[in-house]
Amino acid sequence: MARVQLKNIQKSWGTAVGVKRLSLDIADGEFLVLLGPSGCGKTTTMRMVAGLEDPSEGEIWIGERCVNALEPKDRDVAMVFQSYGLYPNMTVYENISFPLRIRGTPKAEIDPAVMRAAKQVELTDYLDRKPKALSGGQRQRVALARAIVRQPAVFLMDEPLSNLDAKLRVSMRSHIKHLHHSLGVTTIYVTHDQIEAMTLADRVVVMSKAEIQQIGTPEAIYSDPSNVFVAGFIGSPAMNLVNGNLVDGTFVATGNDFAINIPGFSGITKTNMILGVRAEDLALVEPRAAAIQAPVFTVELTGEATLVTLKLGHQFITAKADKSHRAAMGERAGFSATSERCYLFDGETELRRRLG
Amino acid sequence: MKQHSKALQWAIYGGLTLWLVIASLPIVWTAIISFRQYVDAFSSPLKWTAPFTFENYRTLWIDKAFYLNFLNTALVTLGTVTISLTVGCLAGYALSRYRGALGFWLLLVALVFRAIPHSSLLPSFFTMFDALGIRNTYFALIFVLVAINQPFTIWMLRSFFINIPSELDEAALVDGCTRFQAFRKVIIPVMWPGVVTTGLFSFLLAYNDFLLSSALTNAEKMTMPAAIANAISAESEALLMQGVAGAVSITIPLIILIVFFQKQIVGGLTQGAVKG
Repeated sequence: MARVQLKNIQKSWGTAVGVKRLSLDIADGEFLVLLGPSGCGKTTTMRMVAGLEDPSEGEIWIGERCVNALEPKDRDVAMVFQSYGLYPNMTVYENISFPLRIRGTPKAEIDPAVMRAAKQVELTDYLDRKPKALSGGQRQRVALARAIVRQPAVFLMDEPLSNLDAKLRVSMRSHIKHLHHSLGVTTIYVTHDQIEAMTLADRVVVMSKAEIQQIGTPEAIYSDPSNVFVAGFIGSPAMNLVNGNLVDGTFVATGNDFAINIPGFSGITKTNMILGVRAEDLALVEPRAAAIQAPVFTVELTGEATLVTLKLGHQFITAKADKSHRAAMGERAGFSATSERCYLFDGETELRRRLG
Repeated sequence: MKQHSKALQWAIYGGLTLWLVIASLPIVWTAIISFRQYVDAFSSPLKWTAPFTFENYRTLWIDKAFYLNFLNTALVTLGTVTISLTVGCLAGYALSRYRGALGFWLLLVALVFRAIPHSSLLPSFFTMFDALGIRNTYFALIFVLVAINQPFTIWMLRSFFINIPSELDEAALVDGCTRFQAFRKVIIPVMWPGVVTTGLFSFLLAYNDFLLSSALTNAEKMTMPAAIANAISAESEALLMQGVAGAVSITIPLIILIVFFQKQIVGGLTQGAVKG
């Protein structure tokens, strides 16, 4: 168990930059999720912690040691890979015991450790099998067992659930959360799945284009996004983002399609702004009384809710209505926004405009 | 439908049987006449039965000391296979994991050397080995065979290594291996069929080599194919029969080898073909 610090690390290949000037301080025992679209540098960042890539600049500290010059084997980390990375010629038992055997752990200690790890991921019945005789979920549990069999300082998990089907993913997710809770080992987890990030993380690091966009608890990332990227990336359906201008504290959408008073911004006028509002913060109301009204573009039933999308000029805006709500496409509908839950972003810098 | 497929089946089996007979007839006939005297072996019209004799084999192996040629072949083949596989595994692994452009050029150069006809290299080998004073040595022969074989083994082994995901290396590195341990304890066991298949091809190249051995070595250092070629081309009836016995002697180890490694060879070949 250890604190992990990334101090101003950069990874570049020639002129291409994979990770740009990134600093992170991960507390001992923390579950930190690196979240972002593919190619955002999250996996590269993790691989640098593992020692599988060398940073071009900056320092990586695990516990009290700067590990830049250390080989992966000397960093005291364990890693779980997206496609499992199991040794196909070895049985489950041999796979799990491999990290101990290669490190010269006394024989008497290996067996109890393997059995303990296998028990934690419920694999004790499969120890004699080869990986190819296991299902995807079982393989990933072998990979987990191989990681926890040693007591490493840090767990690194690179999209461990991405190869599993949707149902299995949910059950493995709770497995991982439970394991982290019972072991308390500092964990860095890479994913592009926001649900995984929200459910697992103590803190989420949202990355895009080689840079950190926001670091915060899942709640903060969701309800207090610091820029347009985070606002649009987190949440399903994605947050509505509407272009317009701020006129004396009132947001006026481009084309004068609607206007919403944003509390606290009175007296401020600024062109080129983006209004962000989540679908669940929009309520369906009587069209004549509504701030936003337009013909219904589409209606989608998700089972737990009904998503109603309006078309305003060439912008779309979606509201989440009760699951029993029915609207006909083409018919006029009205939305009213909870104005305290409206976010304003600068259209140029894409940064959040906060009060004060 | 059922009738048709049965007819097709007969056609396939019939065709295969015919092919088998045609393909194996020269070999089987060689084996049969190797136990005859010259008059019976090459009589006209040919004889189906004739007195049985071990004379040809006895003369060849004992009087003509063919066992020396056998030992030469064993030594040269072992040396070639060992060096080819060692260099090929290390180079193939490195090239399969190396991402730069240099790797591509190295492979291309290797292919060019592979494409050059072997005989066109011989004149310069003569000069070079004479200057070094190593002509007519096992070393020189192994050296040339390895040089000819190496591009092929590197290419073949590299394609096997490429099929092994690099996550396997990385898992091993994080689990506590050095680079070399990851290679030896994790990667090599996984691609063992590939090593066996490539090793067999290297073996066949060295074992069947005639050109280089006959050009670079004298009688006492010659390998089996070169030695019996001399016998068969000679204008002597007795020598010809020894050549026939020699041809059969050379074939037997090959058959044993193929039967013994059949599973790995097929596994290796299909692995390379399907997963690539």
